[in-house]
Amino acid sequence: MNKDYDICVIGSGAGAGPVISELSKQGKSVLVLEKGPWFTEKDFTKDEMACCRHSTYTPKLEDEQHVLEEENNDGSWSSEPTSESGWDFWNGNVVGGSSNFMSGYFYRIKPKDFRLLSEFGPIKGANIVDWPISYDDMEPYFTKAETEIGISGKIIAHKHQEPRSTKDFPYPPTSEHPIVNKIDKACADLNLTSLPTPRAVLSTPKEKRNSCEYSGYCGSYGCHSGAKGSARAALLDDAVATGHCEIRPNSKVYKLKSNSKGQVVEALYYDADNKAQSVSAKIFVVACHAIETSRLLLASDGPRHPDGLGNNYSQLGKNLLFSAGGSGTGEFHYSEMDKLTASAMKTRGPFVNRGLQDWYYFDDKEFGGKAKGGVIDFLLRHPNPISKAMDSKWNDEGNLNWGHNLKRDLKTVFTSSQDLRFEVFNDWLPTDNCFVSLDPKTKDKWGSAVAKVRLGYHEHDLKVGEFLSAKAENVLRQMGAKNIRSSVSGSPPANLVAGGCRFGNDIKTSVLDADCKVHDVDNLYVTDGSFMPTGGSVPYTWTIYANSFRVADIIKQRV
Amino acid sequence: MNKPTINRRQFIQIIALASTGWPLISQAEKKSRLITPDPSSDLTYKNLSDPWLSIAEVQEHLFPADDTSPGAKDIYALRFLRNMLDAPDTDSEEKEFIIKGVGWLNDLSVKDHKKSFIKLNSNDKESVLRKIESSRAGSRWLNLMMTYLIEALLSDPVYGGNKDQIGWQWLEHIPGFPTPTTEQVYFKLGEQANSNSQRRNRSRRAAS
Repeated sequence: MNKDYDICVIGSGAGAGPVISELSKQGKSVLVLEKGPWFTEKDFTKDEMACCRHSTYTPKLEDEQHVLEEENNDGSWSSEPTSESGWDFWNGNVVGGSSNFMSGYFYRIKPKDFRLLSEFGPIKGANIVDWPISYDDMEPYFTKAETEIGISGKIIAHKHQEPRSTKDFPYPPTSEHPIVNKIDKACADLNLTSLPTPRAVLSTPKEKRNSCEYSGYCGSYGCHSGAKGSARAALLDDAVATGHCEIRPNSKVYKLKSNSKGQVVEALYYDADNKAQSVSAKIFVVACHAIETSRLLLASDGPRHPDGLGNNYSQLGKNLLFSAGGSGTGEFHYSEMDKLTASAMKTRGPFVNRGLQDWYYFDDKEFGGKAKGGVIDFLLRHPNPISKAMDSKWNDEGNLNWGHNLKRDLKTVFTSSQDLRFEVFNDWLPTDNCFVSLDPKTKDKWGSAVAKVRLGYHEHDLKVGEFLSAKAENVLRQMGAKNIRSSVSGSPPANLVAGGCRFGNDIKTSVLDADCKVHDVDNLYVTDGSFMPTGGSVPYTWTIYANSFRVADIIKQRV
Repeated sequence: MNKPTINRRQFIQIIALASTGWPLISQAEKKSRLITPDPSSDLTYKNLSDPWLSIAEVQEHLFPADDTSPGAKDIYALRFLRNMLDAPDTDSEEKEFIIKGVGWLNDLSVKDHKKSFIKLNSNDKESVLRKIESSRAGSRWLNLMMTYLIEALLSDPVYGGNKDQIGWQWLEHIPGFPTPTTEQVYFKLGEQANSNSQRRNRSRRAAS
């Protein structure tokens, strides 16, 4: 039977980009169905109102939302739609997905992350497993992502450095803020290895893409220069240029229709005019954000899949992951510096790009010996002025702060110190209390059930987060920072999500096989962060890119 | 510390439970008392009439000018607010609530001080506003006023506030680039640019 396309990809972000690009370059016909609109570099400005105060790049919550379920003190669970709570779980519904708005802190996961269970043993209440592939299987694709996406950095030897097939990054590090000298010194004093953080940001131009303009506004903003390695800038534009790839924006897929053999035959979607459409393809690839991928497959029941595609063993949507950890801040007061130093510290533009991996694995009695830790990243406080000022709206008594008091507080917040922050990333252990299902009541504007997400976490995550946070505070203290504080909680960061369709060798305990193909569906792959059974202790994007390149090679061999 | 954001459902409950000091008025009464903004009035501070006259006074009280820093009028906070309330996506409930609040404000001023709000001295203005703050609906109204003020102070001048970057200059803020043109304001960008719901960036990790 004739199919409309060789490959139909649902979603266009980091998980989708490599498959789209690789298959188009091979001359296969690729159709991309992206729910959001198509912005280009010229549309992206440094406008806090657009990026962060309003839902410009994400849906209006009344139209499309999630239902979030949180645990009460008595152990029961309460759920609330995000249109009521305002807790927005969208990250970027546009061509290129949320990779347009990432900061691009890029880390490889490490060999032991692929065998967390074998290396560190089980933890009660956590569904830890080994991955069905090894670091060696993934390494060539981490490397490929470095050149294809454009990752800048510099390798410095340290005890937890993962093996590499190339000596160093293809792009040198981006420019650095003067505060890194203070960080490096403090780390050296503490006998720690201060590491340059690799970034998916070009330090030198790459083909049509410009290098970074150092505007000082990166995360949360679309990149104007093309330096940020979004799937759009790094992969999709070239894919379209092959003439084999068609991107259809404003196309919301609501169901994958499968036949009596259990194969997917059509993607059903609503177009920009909200008219129902359908398209057929030989192979379907879903990569539309961990939560939404599980939601789409759960909604795609068929003759061989009565509870959703790939859900014959009730694994779909389970073991959702976020990133555990927390963040902290220390202040460096200009009044305590000479004029030259103060002026250097006020620099806006270059990056901090420093992190610590000294405790990626560690040994500690409190943790029963050998344990898995994570990474610490240092960064300046986000320069967005409105959000910075909003903190001054309330006084310590919880009353509104206005008049001359407010103005005095604003002046202090904005002009008296440079604030160095840190963020801790450690494993969000997979548990039975973190999963996606379909909400029985709440629908999106097209009438489809929205995803309900239970947001449970494992206590162990907090213990590790606090351990690392204390180490990071030590560095700030050594640097002479004032007013050091940090916060570690089980509240999930909505922009760091994975899991829900874990891959594995056993259909009874996983949704995808080692190739990221749905076990009992011959022509359906999942290539976003959903495949990850455990998350590693780093932001996910590089791993998502690498895995999508890996699966692209597998798909190439069969079409 | 941030006060937790009042969610939409709670907001509706608050309106329903509003105290006598910040009265709940019937639908019919609400209609008759609702002051409709005059579309022909320009966006400067000249020839203002209510509700804008009172709102401009409230803004200046909440964000007063002094010798070294701009006040609400200097940053064109009223122009910003009116632009935002006129934005195609602005929730009509919110707009109505803001305007309705002016009626309540003046009712309370007259009740307590026998004068409308703009005629009060600074101390009396403060006491009226703090009294308003003590009711939940009133607190919500003032919170909105403050939010729009801070946005007027620090958003790109393309939105009508932060006149000639005066807010950025006062706080020594270095803006990014490029800045938006009038065609790139958030409500003109793309298909999805149609929400005025404030995003609550709770525990979003920056280094992602």
